[in-house]
Amino acid sequence: MFHVSFRYIFGIPPLILVLLPVTSSDCDIEGKDGREYQHVLMISINDLDTMIKNRTNCPNNEPKVFKKHACDDNKEGVFLYRAARKLKQFVKVNNSEDFNLHLSRVSQGTLQLLNCTPKEDNKSVKEQRKQKSLCSLGILLQKIKTCWNKILRGSKEH
Amino acid sequence: MDSILLLIKEGEFEDAELDDYSFSCYSQLEVDGTQHLLTCAFDDPDVNSTNLEFEICGALLNVKCLTFDKLQEMYFIKTKKFLLIGDSEIHVKLGGKNITSKKLNIVEIVKPEAPFDIRVIYRKGANDFLVTFNTSHSQKKYVKELMHEVAYRQEKNENDWMHVNLSSTKLTLLQRKLQPDAMYEIKVRSIPNANYFQGFWSEWSPTFHFRTPEITGRMDPVLLTISILSFFSVALMVILACALWKKRIKPIVWPSLPDHKKTLEQLCKKPKKNLNVSFNPESFLDCQIHKVDGIQARDEAESFLQDTSSQLDESEKRRLGGGMQGPTWPSEHAAITPKAFREDLPFGCLAGSISMCEALVQSSSRSPDCREGGKNGPHVYQGLLLGPGTTNSTVPTPSPFQSGILTLSPTAQGQPVLTSLGSSQEEAYVTMSSFYQNQ
Repeated sequence: MFHVSFRYIFGIPPLILVLLPVTSSDCDIEGKDGREYQHVLMISINDLDTMIKNRTNCPNNEPKVFKKHACDDNKEGVFLYRAARKLKQFVKVNNSEDFNLHLSRVSQGTLQLLNCTPKEDNKSVKEQRKQKSLCSLGILLQKIKTCWNKILRGSKEH
Repeated sequence: MDSILLLIKEGEFEDAELDDYSFSCYSQLEVDGTQHLLTCAFDDPDVNSTNLEFEICGALLNVKCLTFDKLQEMYFIKTKKFLLIGDSEIHVKLGGKNITSKKLNIVEIVKPEAPFDIRVIYRKGANDFLVTFNTSHSQKKYVKELMHEVAYRQEKNENDWMHVNLSSTKLTLLQRKLQPDAMYEIKVRSIPNANYFQGFWSEWSPTFHFRTPEITGRMDPVLLTISILSFFSVALMVILACALWKKRIKPIVWPSLPDHKKTLEQLCKKPKKNLNVSFNPESFLDCQIHKVDGIQARDEAESFLQDTSSQLDESEKRRLGGGMQGPTWPSEHAAITPKAFREDLPFGCLAGSISMCEALVQSSSRSPDCREGGKNGPHVYQGLLLGPGTTNSTVPTPSPFQSGILTLSPTAQGQPVLTSLGSSQEEAYVTMSSFYQNQ
């Protein structure tokens, strides 16, 4: 009888605590109506795409960018948060002012619309140092765009 | 008591300072390339802004705060670093110390640039005025959707502006809604469409002046051409009518009396092959021509003699056989018959008595006009056609003798006409044939 109560006291609560983060979202998205994305962020993303295509010819095979993260269901906020944080790595001195400003607008604007818990900040820092080429940036921007479209579609259906 | 009054006074002074430093701002996006402009000013123009500074913090890219520049009484900042998402705070500082602050969103205080190049073109075919204008926001990325307001008025009517709202840069004004031959002025301004960007009305565009055309009696060229053609057509028709009146038109509209010969020939030209139509009496030599009056008289007289008593006078028979003597025959006849039948007939037959003549004629359903019987043929003809309705005497019992005397008993409907005419019939026959012979 003693080892039975011991199991319930020390076994189940930790299990609950571990499983809760899997089901819940760490980031809340404020701009789900899409106005900020359509009138501000999308303009900057499109301008960056144009600038990248004008500057480089990217290969058809997709570089390994942000492979570990995906815009999964109920994980869109986390993905955008990490992607927005990664965009900051592409801000360089040798870029044009407008290029850097667009990057900053997309990154900062996305973060402005997300309300994430502090633990996400620590996790995404490790992945920010790799893959700083423009082609990678282009792919990342496309992923951000796709994830935003998914969020907006989901909000329209609801 | 004095300390309380002092506190109140200090409070009043602080409130007054806060009220004095109220300010308003508006933003202009992409006013210079990709640069944006934020302009602020105090609401009270009497504020001493000598050492005052404006600062904006929040919703900026890569920086926390930016300081305004000052131009006379206006504070402005020109930068590309507006995030355009989220709120910012504007601080009024005096010597680094924050006097007043205001929270606002850059995208909610947007003031578009004034439209320009407004023009009015008169379209004669459509009877309207096409108003067009241009705006620099059509080339911008952010504030692209605007609502425009066009205002126009007649120059002499001050403060009587007409307003029209539209989202495009073209407007049509109907000519009938404007005064003719009048001078008008027109202007336009814009405001963000309130989808994401909001704000204030822009400044008015430069005014354009135009004059509406006056209503003239000048006709439309197409209408004028049609009118001229119609006039000439009518004139031509009148001339042709006058020229061809006698030869062609009048015979159709007012035909002359037909030629009897030709008319009858045409009527009889219906396909009866055996029908011989001619006014030449020689062509009927093969036919037995009997004078109708003689035949009838003989037949009926014989029948009368057979049927009735021998009261008939032979002289009368002869007379009847001789047919009608002349135009005086009816009166003569009238004179004879009453005499013969004075005793027998219930009604008195007096010579020249019209009623008697009419009664005698009634049996044959014809009544001769005894008065006028001798005058001419047509009168007799008419008299013969009169039915019993014309008489006012009692209807006599028709007797065979009476019908025989009158020799008016019709062997056919039309024939009494001919028989009573007597010599006039012969004359008519002769006339027609002589007419034919003349031709």
